[in-house]
Amino acid sequence: MIDINRRRFVQRAVSAAIAASSLKVFAAQPGSIDTDEGITFAAGPRPLARFPQKRELILVTSRPPHLETPFESFDGNVLTPNDAFYVRYHLAGLPTSIDSATYRLAVTGAVKTPLELSLGDLKTLPGQVEVVAVNQCSGNGRGYSNPRVFGAQLGNGSMGNARWTGVTVKSVLERAGVAAGAVQVAFNGLDKPVLPSTPDFRKALDIDHALSGEPLLAWGMNGADLPFLNGYPLKLIVPGYFGTYWVKHLSDLVVLDKPFAGHDSYFQTIGYRIPDNDCACVTPGTVPDKLRPIGRLPVRSFITNVAANTQLPIGKPTELRGIAFDGGAGIKAVDVSIDGGKSWRAATLGDDLGRYSFRPWRLPVTFATAGDSVLMVRAASNSGEVQPAEATWNPSGYRRHVIESTPVTIG
Amino acid sequence: MHRTISIALICLAASTSAAPMTIQLPPDESTLRASTLPGYAVAHQKCGICHSANYISYQPPAMSQAAWTAEMTKMKEAYGAPIDDDEVKLIGAYLAVAYGSAKATDPSVVALASLATPTAPRAAADTAVQALLSANACLGCHAIDHKIVGPGFKDVAAKYKGEPNAKATIAARIRSGGSGLWGDVAMPPMAGIDAAQADALAAFVLSQ
Repeated sequence: MIDINRRRFVQRAVSAAIAASSLKVFAAQPGSIDTDEGITFAAGPRPLARFPQKRELILVTSRPPHLETPFESFDGNVLTPNDAFYVRYHLAGLPTSIDSATYRLAVTGAVKTPLELSLGDLKTLPGQVEVVAVNQCSGNGRGYSNPRVFGAQLGNGSMGNARWTGVTVKSVLERAGVAAGAVQVAFNGLDKPVLPSTPDFRKALDIDHALSGEPLLAWGMNGADLPFLNGYPLKLIVPGYFGTYWVKHLSDLVVLDKPFAGHDSYFQTIGYRIPDNDCACVTPGTVPDKLRPIGRLPVRSFITNVAANTQLPIGKPTELRGIAFDGGAGIKAVDVSIDGGKSWRAATLGDDLGRYSFRPWRLPVTFATAGDSVLMVRAASNSGEVQPAEATWNPSGYRRHVIESTPVTIG
Repeated sequence: MHRTISIALICLAASTSAAPMTIQLPPDESTLRASTLPGYAVAHQKCGICHSANYISYQPPAMSQAAWTAEMTKMKEAYGAPIDDDEVKLIGAYLAVAYGSAKATDPSVVALASLATPTAPRAAADTAVQALLSANACLGCHAIDHKIVGPGFKDVAAKYKGEPNAKATIAARIRSGGSGLWGDVAMPPMAGIDAAQADALAAFVLSQ
């Protein structure tokens, strides 16, 4: 079964006239951005909306805000611009004013010395780091689940790649001195539920992961302060892991001597869980018997310069290009098919910004046959992981990573 | 000495120039589809406490009454929505008709009408103010002395102090809802509150 991403495109006739060397057939004019990306909604289509420090993004929800990046923004940008980066909150009690001068991060729990750290303190600790890493929402692509599932009906724009600047969680924990017997660290931000009966949004990392030197507390994003809605002034970055762990507006770290539990552990211990088997999937429509917390990103790849249902020229050199990424092994190879998966050819990989980054790829092709065709792209990671040919399914619509297909017309 | 002073001045300049970073979120303009089903009034009053209507309207089309009702159970059990078991069923039926595959004439929807009759026991039937505040989740959005989503009761009392029809004005506003007076988040109409209950709440607010 070919899983076709029918990204509806309002300018489908335009592409034929575009020169092959500058092929960029996503909508380029204001007002022509496709916001539904092939997904149907009870009261769709979705509008574009302008939020503080953001260009017009696709409105998923208004309160709390959830905004998707229009997919064409990924073409030509290995680093996603800050003003195009997606936004996702769970709780409407989000802060709207933060004074970086008085801001403090508390480090408490099973530590020798509880800390109250200013941004200045954090910037002078050892362990200053910079890493390029993909932040992808667990539900990115949920709108393509078949059968459909409740939740934010996302296209593929709830992801982004940025250069994060900060200090390692390890360095902060070592300054506080982790007590013997610590098992996890819980991370909390300034966003709060409206009602006390609603769980707060908090996440936990195992102590070994927290001390691995990989997760960091970042204040910088692509060389600037974090945009407010991406977690200003400090955000947890967990390279290789889904965005649910990347807690915004960090307010406190609590070192735990027993696994995170209780009312405010909901989003860690009950939410954001996937079937506990190799494919993290079940037969569509059925209920998993065992779950585990969602974790690393599976390998994915996209074509970024051709939308679904566009027309591409026959007999002319045409460049296809896109991105691939995985949970930290790095991308080994990207293959492209222009005949619906019958044959594949290797794309050329572009600049390597690190094993957690988008990896750009490109492939010149010439279409020889007129008519309908399907473009496909698949990536393999350095650990040998590949993308499935058929979409896997789970009840929450998490972790989509099927080989994506783009129907086009040649001629 | 000179160098010390220069550094002190730089620090002072840096600390005074760092104003708080403040954003203003755009107003939420999404609304629920109107309906004569009893679940509409409940949804209008309760769902908007925690999230905008487009959390609902951008769900997949054609979800069933059973699916929408299960989702309301999740809202109640997992997210602590201030809705009782009857309201779970009423909202589920309304949403399935307004946004899903159900029809208002479906027997499973019609059968819920008895849940919404005035004779059925409702949590808000008491005029005791604390019970009303709790049953209608007023304190989710309002505190006594500070703004949460909506204004603090003391601020409302101060605004209307000395006005001749203050109690009637506030009582009417509680029942009809509104927006624009205090901020961008609209107050949903409290359709489940009768005139006597609204009067009691208005008197309580004005006494702060």
